Amino acid sequence: MNDLGLSFQGRINKRTIILAFFFFLWFFIITLRLIQLQVIEHRRLRQAVISQSQLERSIIPERGTIYDRHGQILARSLPAPTVCLIPHDDDRPGDLMDRVERLREILNLSEREIQKIESRINDGETYIYVKRKASWDQADRVAGLNLKSVYVQQENRRFYPLGSLAAHVLGGVSIDGDGQSGVELQYNTRLEGVKGLSLILRDANRRRYDWEILKEPKPGQDLVLTLDETIQYIAERELEKAVREHEASWGTVIISHPASGEILAMATSPAYDPNDYPPSSDELGRNRGIQENFEPGSMFKIVTAAAARETGVVGFNEIFDCSEGKIRVAGWTINDHKKLGVLTFSEVIIQSSNVGTIKVGQRIGQERLYRTIQDFRFGRKTGLDLPGEESGIFHPLNKWSRTSIAAHSIGYEISVTAAQILQAMNIVANRGVLIPFRMTRSSLNPKGFSPEIPIAGDRIISEKTAAELTSRVFEGVVADGTGQAAQIEGFSVAGKTGTARKLDRSLGVYQASRHVASFVGFVPADRPVLSMVVVLDEPKFSLQYGGQVAAPVFREIGRRVLLYLRQAPQLSPDKGTVTAQLRSKDQP
Amino acid sequence: MVRKKLPKKEIAAAAGCILLAVATLTFYVWHQAAVIQIGFQTSRLEERRAGLEEEIKKLETDKAALLAPVRVDRIAREELGLVEPQPEQLIYEDTRPANSHE
Repeated sequence: MNDLGLSFQGRINKRTIILAFFFFLWFFIITLRLIQLQVIEHRRLRQAVISQSQLERSIIPERGTIYDRHGQILARSLPAPTVCLIPHDDDRPGDLMDRVERLREILNLSEREIQKIESRINDGETYIYVKRKASWDQADRVAGLNLKSVYVQQENRRFYPLGSLAAHVLGGVSIDGDGQSGVELQYNTRLEGVKGLSLILRDANRRRYDWEILKEPKPGQDLVLTLDETIQYIAERELEKAVREHEASWGTVIISHPASGEILAMATSPAYDPNDYPPSSDELGRNRGIQENFEPGSMFKIVTAAAARETGVVGFNEIFDCSEGKIRVAGWTINDHKKLGVLTFSEVIIQSSNVGTIKVGQRIGQERLYRTIQDFRFGRKTGLDLPGEESGIFHPLNKWSRTSIAAHSIGYEISVTAAQILQAMNIVANRGVLIPFRMTRSSLNPKGFSPEIPIAGDRIISEKTAAELTSRVFEGVVADGTGQAAQIEGFSVAGKTGTARKLDRSLGVYQASRHVASFVGFVPADRPVLSMVVVLDEPKFSLQYGGQVAAPVFREIGRRVLLYLRQAPQLSPDKGTVTAQLRSKDQP
Repeated sequence: MVRKKLPKKEIAAAAGCILLAVATLTFYVWHQAAVIQIGFQTSRLEERRAGLEEEIKKLETDKAALLAPVRVDRIAREELGLVEPQPEQLIYEDTRPANSHE
């Protein structure tokens, strides 16, 4: 019995030990596994769980609205539906593609778009755009299909209600709503606001069951431009007409209010529709007013005349013999457009004589001419608050050659932008003071222009020089000289024409058949309401001079804008401001 | 078996307590339900307000598009047959001279 009892007890003990061993072994393995999962692979697994159950999404804030100076909407963000695919774990790529195929027709998906979606499905992406910023009609039809893993979410789409109006100033935005050009790019930080962050919670099948906002988005601020919608329209319409008529490569018009430096209109033709951004070519997207360098030709005589008078080397009635119609400088012959005879200094500029202006330039001298060009801020950006502005090309004095005085005097060997030449004319219009350009305002301006002068600015030339140049030279250009086509009935106009031959860089010669025709001026001449530059590149047919091509554009735009601004003609005292009104039948 | 008779006062007190508890619970549930209901209503109204604000913005933008100068000009010329007045057709009244500014 005892033996049997011991033997039984021994077996029990042995089994207990074996059982305990296996139990501890199992526990040990479990512990090891836990250490592996919780300690060694903690970071990776935590990340995997979060990515499976949580999804962080940026909340794009509403982009600020862009207004013209009177509060007209130029650009605004509106909600737009986006169709997306958020695959579940049990979704096979083939099933997802079947659903995408069902959306193809509704969303007008191209073959390229389908391929892109397929590749993202095969890459196992967890959030796939099918169609961004679709129409609400398309979104309703997609929602009606009630397809698994297909969702319609809301984004914002940039809308430009006036179409191509002021396209080059406004620029455009990318599909993600980031500014790409124009004021959209310049003021992107201000317009875009601050992105928010949301957390989407999903179950094991990646179905969304809850969401919360981790960071509230901050909407973008609105922006008020100095542009006037109506003036912009007038400028674009007349410019487009001129470019078409003369078959010019491109054209640009900038209109400013000289006293405040505010840009009232900035047009480039051909234009594009920012609703279909980006434009079909980079060339089409260029704001020619600030992004195109060109040799200004005779328009630059503004600077030569200012230098001559400011340095006092030439009197207004001083005589210059231009009867030969040509002049030789360092082996080069420079011609006038016709033989002009003997001219006074004023007549030299009024008739735009190259011969006379070169003689004036030679009298001014290299250093004084160079310094005046510098003072007029050529070779430097105007500082207009738009991106991509060119500085022009103005060579330093040590690079000047024997022809440089002559060339610079008549607007060659130097390249400028239309904005720079308008800035130079504005210095004359503002009685010698430079008022920097600006494109934005701090508030809306429903009544009209801000009060005129005084606004502090840098003095470039004396008030006397500017006033005399206006009354004795630039008014004469329009009244009796090359710019007669810029005359506006009832108003005194001051201006300067420009016709520059274009340089063939491969041959190194100026071409007789390719020109840049231009006109810059302001009106009324004594207290200007507006200043304007018109540039047309390579006008075709027989009319190629600035006075024939650009000056009429100035006249047509100026006449209409003055009418719009209710400015009374000065030169006919019996007449007042133009108004047109409708009378009701009850009125006598 | 002797049946013990409970005092009426105690029964009444117990019943009162139960009634109070039930009433409190009922009020609490009703209150919670009302709060949730109001929450839903607030949420719906907030959504509606946001929707209306979006609608206003859309209408303002549509208005801007409809009043676009290019469109107004086209309608004036092509549909209404209007033309720009010639200088001699203009009437000048109540005007300011060109060298004054607003």
